[in-house]
Amino acid sequence: MTDLDVHLPAIATGDADAFARWLAGAEGRLRASLASFAAAVDVEAVLQESLLRVWNTAPRLVPDGRPNALVRFAVRVARNAAVSEWRRLAAGRVVPEVELGGGEPGDPLDPAAAERALESGPADPWLRERIRRCHGELGGSPARALAARLGSGGLEHDRELAAGVGMTLNTFLQNVARARKLLAACLERAGVRLAEVWS
Amino acid sequence: RLEAALTT
Repeated sequence: MTDLDVHLPAIATGDADAFARWLAGAEGRLRASLASFAAAVDVEAVLQESLLRVWNTAPRLVPDGRPNALVRFAVRVARNAAVSEWRRLAAGRVVPEVELGGGEPGDPLDPAAAERALESGPADPWLRERIRRCHGELGGSPARALAARLGSGGLEHDRELAAGVGMTLNTFLQNVARARKLLAACLERAGVRLAEVWS
Repeated sequence: RLEAALTT
């Protein structure tokens, strides 16, 4: 994973564009870190609240010299927010204890939980079918590159994904870009207007 | 959150 702390100085001065660039690299990992809380809290809400807290507290963060200090800080913020929300819901009996497995959700960085989260597809069968159909039409290297990206959930560096599908990094990136364009065009032809479906 | 490839 690229060291996203390159954006930290600008974020600390209140540069929202820098925060956007950091978000583009960090969001997938943060969401994955909350996988074990999926049945206990609304992860989307917790993630958004956590990102707002990170934005508000980033100017006071003192990096420890290791890469991705802000990402590691954000993971802690998100976990604490998830635990607080889980306890609040449990106290109000909104979350039956049996659904929590009798205890506090486990390690939020549990790789098995993150892997399980990748096994299900988008909920809308109509949309899922069209995405699958378009992905099936890609074929060749673009399909393999996109499948590697989708399969990683943002947890692996592109260099590792490229090696996994037998491509150089540059070729992999070209194929990802090509796959993205082909997939978007295919979905548009199938009547899926991306701005309406995913906004 | 395909969205990033083409997010929250």
